[in-house]
Amino acid sequence: MTSPMTPPVTPPVTPRLDPVAPAPSRVPAALRRADPAVATAFGCIVALLLLGSLYSTSFLSPDYLLQQLQVGSFLALVATGLMVVVLLGQIDLSVPWIVTVGGMMSTAAAGHGAVGTALAIPFGVLCGIGFGLVNGFGVAYLRVPSMIFTLGVDAVAQGLMVLKTGGSAPQDMATPLMRDLATGRALGPVPNAVWVWVAVGAATLFLLGRTTFGRAVYAIGNREGAAYLSGVRTRRVTLVAFAISGGLSALAGALLAGYSGKAYQGMGDGYLLPAIAAVVLGGTSILGGRGSYLGTTAGVILITLLQSILSVVQMPDAGRQVIYGTVILAMLLLYGRGNKVGG
Amino acid sequence: MTPPLLSLSGIAKRYGATRALDGVDLALHPGRIHAVLGENGAGKSSLIKCMAGVVQPDAGTMTLDGTPVRFADPAAANAAGIVCVFQELSLIPDLSVADNILAADPPRRFGLIDRREQRHRAEELLARAGAEDIHPLALVRDLPLSRRQLVEIAKALGRRPRLLILDEATSALTARDVASVFRVLKDLRRQGLALVFISHRMGEIAELADDCSVFRNGRNVATFPAGTRSDGEVVEMMIGRDYSHAYPAKPPPVPEATPPALAVRDLGWGDRLHGLSFAVRPGEVVGLGGLDGQGQRELLLALFGVLRGTSGEVRVDGRPVALASPADAKAARNGIALIPEDRKTEGLMLPMSVRENLSFASLGRVSRGGVIDRGAERRAVDEMVQLLAIKAADLDVPVASLSGGNQQKVVLAKWLMTRPRIVLLADPTRGIDVGTKAEIYRLLRRLADEGAAVLLYSTDYAELIGCCDRVLVLYGGRIVRELAGDAITERALVASALNMNGAEAA
Repeated sequence: MTSPMTPPVTPPVTPRLDPVAPAPSRVPAALRRADPAVATAFGCIVALLLLGSLYSTSFLSPDYLLQQLQVGSFLALVATGLMVVVLLGQIDLSVPWIVTVGGMMSTAAAGHGAVGTALAIPFGVLCGIGFGLVNGFGVAYLRVPSMIFTLGVDAVAQGLMVLKTGGSAPQDMATPLMRDLATGRALGPVPNAVWVWVAVGAATLFLLGRTTFGRAVYAIGNREGAAYLSGVRTRRVTLVAFAISGGLSALAGALLAGYSGKAYQGMGDGYLLPAIAAVVLGGTSILGGRGSYLGTTAGVILITLLQSILSVVQMPDAGRQVIYGTVILAMLLLYGRGNKVGG
Repeated sequence: MTPPLLSLSGIAKRYGATRALDGVDLALHPGRIHAVLGENGAGKSSLIKCMAGVVQPDAGTMTLDGTPVRFADPAAANAAGIVCVFQELSLIPDLSVADNILAADPPRRFGLIDRREQRHRAEELLARAGAEDIHPLALVRDLPLSRRQLVEIAKALGRRPRLLILDEATSALTARDVASVFRVLKDLRRQGLALVFISHRMGEIAELADDCSVFRNGRNVATFPAGTRSDGEVVEMMIGRDYSHAYPAKPPPVPEATPPALAVRDLGWGDRLHGLSFAVRPGEVVGLGGLDGQGQRELLLALFGVLRGTSGEVRVDGRPVALASPADAKAARNGIALIPEDRKTEGLMLPMSVRENLSFASLGRVSRGGVIDRGAERRAVDEMVQLLAIKAADLDVPVASLSGGNQQKVVLAKWLMTRPRIVLLADPTRGIDVGTKAEIYRLLRRLADEGAAVLLYSTDYAELIGCCDRVLVLYGGRIVRELAGDAITERALVASALNMNGAEAA
C-alpha cells in the first residue's frame, strides 16, 4: 500500500466536489495516512503510564506491563471480533453471553473424557460461531437491525446457559490446556495469552488488509448499496463477519475460564462496554467503513491500563462505569460523527 | 385579458456550469391554465423551483400583482399564495387523510390539535378537490395511488393558493382518474385560480390548457394560445438544439443474423415493466430513449439481477439465465456490467481510495483463494488509469476528491476491469463536462467494436442520436418504438417519447 510521494511540482487535482482532498504535503504517505485517533490513543497510553508512574514506579516495570497485556488479551479477542462487525456499520451486543457460552461449553466438553478435553476449546469456539451465524443470519438475511437482533440473541444465550447449569451440574473446571494458554509462559517472559492475541491480531490484519473479504467489509461499511451493485455477495460477508465475532468472543470465554480456573455465569458481563470503547477509541468509525486494527490494539491497551489504574487507586466499580461511558462518548464526539464523505 | 397574477421577466438560474434557466419571461393569468412543455432538462423543474421559492433565481424579477417579490423559501411562496403539487407524492402514509391535508398548520385549541375542526376542514377541502368520497379519517396508506393524488390536491388547496403548480400531477393516474382531476382543475379555473400544468401527455394539454409555453435549453422559446399550433409544430419547437459534442463515426450496422449477446423476451416487473422483448448483438450500441421514468432504470436493474419477481426470459449468448443478484450477473459466464445512475451512492465508495474503488468489482481476477495479489492488482489498476486517462494526484487519495468526470471514469474503469461482454449504462454522462463526455462516447464505441453488447440509457436525445445504432423508446414500461440508423432523429425520438403515434398506454 506504499505509494510514491507526490512530487511538489505536480499540479494538484482541483477538488471540485468535496473539500476532502488532502493537500499535497512533504510528509511521507505512511505518516500522512496515520489516523489522528490512533495517534491520540497511543498518546493517551503514554500519558496514562506517566501518570501512573507518578503514583508508583512499578507502573513502568516490564512485569507490570506484561501482566497488563495478559489481562488485556481477553478483551483484545472480543474487541477484534467486534471491530470487524463495527467496520460493517453494525454492532454485536451479544458479546457478554457468547463469552460465557465459550467458557461454559468448552469446560462442559472437558467433562467428556480425553476426547472432550482435547476438543474443549474448539467446541466452545464452534458454539460461539453458531451463535454468531444466528446473529449474521438475522442481520443480513432477515434485515433486523443488529442492535436489536444481537441483543435478543444475547438474552437467548443467557437463558440457554442458565437452563443448562440449572438442571444438571456439568463440569465447569477448565482443562489444563485452557489454564496453560491463559496463564502460562511457554516462550520467554511473554504470557501465552499475549501470543494468542498476537496470532489472532496477525490473522485479522491479513484478513482485513489482504483479502477480498476484508476489502468487502470496508466497502459495505462505506456504502452497502455500491458494494452490492459491484457484484459482491454482501449478505454472505455480513454473515461471516458476525460468525467471526461470535467465534472470537467464545475463544475469549474459553481462555477466561482457563484464567480463573472455571467457567461461571456472567463471566462475560464486563466485556461489552470495554470492547466497544476499545474499538471506538482506536478510531474505528461507529458508522462503519473506517478503522485500522492498529487502532483497536491501541484502544485495548488504553482501556486495560485505564481499568488497572482505576483499580489501583481503588475507584469503586460505579465510578469506573461512569469514566468508561464518558470516555466513549467523548471519543464519539471527537471522531465518530460527520466524517463520512457524501453520507 | 386580466392583468397577470405572476409575471417573470429575465429569470436566470445557473447550477455550476449548467445554465438551467436563461432569461425566461412568462406571464400567468388568473382563471387560466398555462401548460409548460419541454424535453428532459429544458428547464421546467428549475422554473417551478424558482416560482415556489425552492431556489432563488440569479437574475431577473418576479412580479406578483404588480409588485416585485422575492421568495426566500417555500414557506414565503406559500404565504404569497403559490403552491405546488409535486409528482412525487408528499403524503405520510401512516397518518390519516385529515392529518395529512392539514399537516402544515392544523387547527389548534389550547395548543392541542382540534380534531373535530380538522376533520371538518379536511372534508371541505376534499369536496373542493372533487373527492367527497374519501373519508378524512382513512389512512393514506389504504388509498390507491389515484386517490392519494386527489388528497395531495386537497392538501395544496388547504394552503389557499392563488397560483397552483401541478408538476406531472397526472403521470401516475389512469385515464378515468385523470378525467376527475381535470374536472377539479377546470373548477378551480372557474374560481379564478391561475394554474400551471406540466405534463408530457399532448392529449391532456390539448384538453386542458388555455395557454402553452415551450421550453428549450432553459429558454421560453414560444408562448401561444392552446390549439393554435399543431403537434408537429410543437415538437419542432421542442427540438432544434445545437449539436456541440463530437461523436465517433458509426460502423455499418451489425448483420441481423448475428446471434444476440443479450436477448430479452416478455420481461415484466410489477406495474413498471410490461412485456419487453428485444435483443442486443455483439458490436451494437443500443439506446434506451423516452421520457425520464418510463421504466428504463428498472429495465437495467432487472437485467443486472437487482429486482425481485421479474417475469419473462433473459438469454445471454443464447443461454437462458436466472439473474438473482448482481453477483450472478457479473459472473464470468454472464459477463454483465452495470454503470449505475448515481455514481456517488451506487457506483463508488467515496471515502475509499481510487485504487480500492477501481479494483473492487474485479477482485476475483486479481486474487487467489480470496487473497489479493497486490502486484496483479496494481498492474490491472495502472493499466486502466492509463487507458481511460484518469486524472488523480495519487491512486491512494479518496475517490471523492476527484472531479465528477474523473469519478465517472473510475466507475466505468471499475467495470471494464471485469471484461464485460454486456455493458449496461444508466445515464453515464449526467453532470459531467463536455470533454469527458466525448471520451466516454469514444470508449463506448470501442467497447462495441471489440465485441461487447452495449445498452445505453440516456436522458439526452442528442446522445442517443450520436451514439446508438438502434434506439428503443419506452413509454409506461413498454417499448413503443424502435428506431434504427438514420431513422434516429430528434423529431422521431420526441414524437415517440410523447407516444403521439402509438396508442395511449395505460
